[in-house]
Amino acid sequence: MPLDKRFIGRSYGPFTYELGLEKMREFSLILGGSTPRAGTPGAPPAHLSPLLYDEAAAKAGPYGDVIASPSFAVVFAIQPFSAAIADPELGVDMVKLVHGEQELEFLDVMKPGDVLTTTGSITALYDKAGLDFLVVTTESKNPQGQTVVRGVWSAVIRQ
Amino acid sequence: MPSRTFQVGDTFTHVRVCDRYRPAYYAGASGDFNPIHIDPEVGRLAGFNGIILQGLCTLGWAVEAVSLFVGDPGRIRRVRVRFSRPVLPEDTVTFKGRVTALASDRLTAEVSATNQRGEPVLKGAVVEAAIG
Repeated sequence: MPLDKRFIGRSYGPFTYELGLEKMREFSLILGGSTPRAGTPGAPPAHLSPLLYDEAAAKAGPYGDVIASPSFAVVFAIQPFSAAIADPELGVDMVKLVHGEQELEFLDVMKPGDVLTTTGSITALYDKAGLDFLVVTTESKNPQGQTVVRGVWSAVIRQ
Repeated sequence: MPSRTFQVGDTFTHVRVCDRYRPAYYAGASGDFNPIHIDPEVGRLAGFNGIILQGLCTLGWAVEAVSLFVGDPGRIRRVRVRFSRPVLPEDTVTFKGRVTALASDRLTAEVSATNQRGEPVLKGAVVEAAIG
């Protein structure tokens, strides 16, 4: 049964997240291919930018501090999307869902201690050829109200 | 860092291997513990041979390809991808980028991503970076 289109416009959040150095660094190292073991996310892969993990190098660099990998934004900005998928009223069947498309826009770099508040809403809901398409659009803002990350999250659900 | 110039048509390549435990490691780092990424039985129920890598990890690798090309991950401004096929453990993914547009302060690159069988795992991937 197609998802009910009256849920277009339903919003989720705000969700607030404080970026921490160790989590940012862990994400960058693991995405970069490091092998973690108990107590450490592993050694930095040779190709990885020191701006992502080395405090001394990053403090001397263009941003004055370690920055997050751009796609670290998914760690917190996904919340409205996962809330929509888990929304019992919407009734998405997780087993039939795949992540179809993703768009992220970065208006600023992310640093340790940044506090970002994400809100999102269902901006599209349609069915085509036995598939449901669910699109959630998110904005993550700093305490000054400036948008740092915009996201468009698209799921495809077999009916 | 010396300033460098870019031209439309410039190309770059980046290769990443999805080692056997990468989906579990990425689950820990990202929080994406969807069972399809950590439980082979759930992967099979969903119609795959076992677990599949998080699509957002593949997106992160496409961003990494462009970050390395422009020389600074802080310059990435936008990424858009369509996930066309899952990446499986032991897959090797080759990212091939090509600069398609240049403005005074912005570079746009199209990025293809294919597995070792030549099958695309991303479609229509576009990454934009600040330059200058």
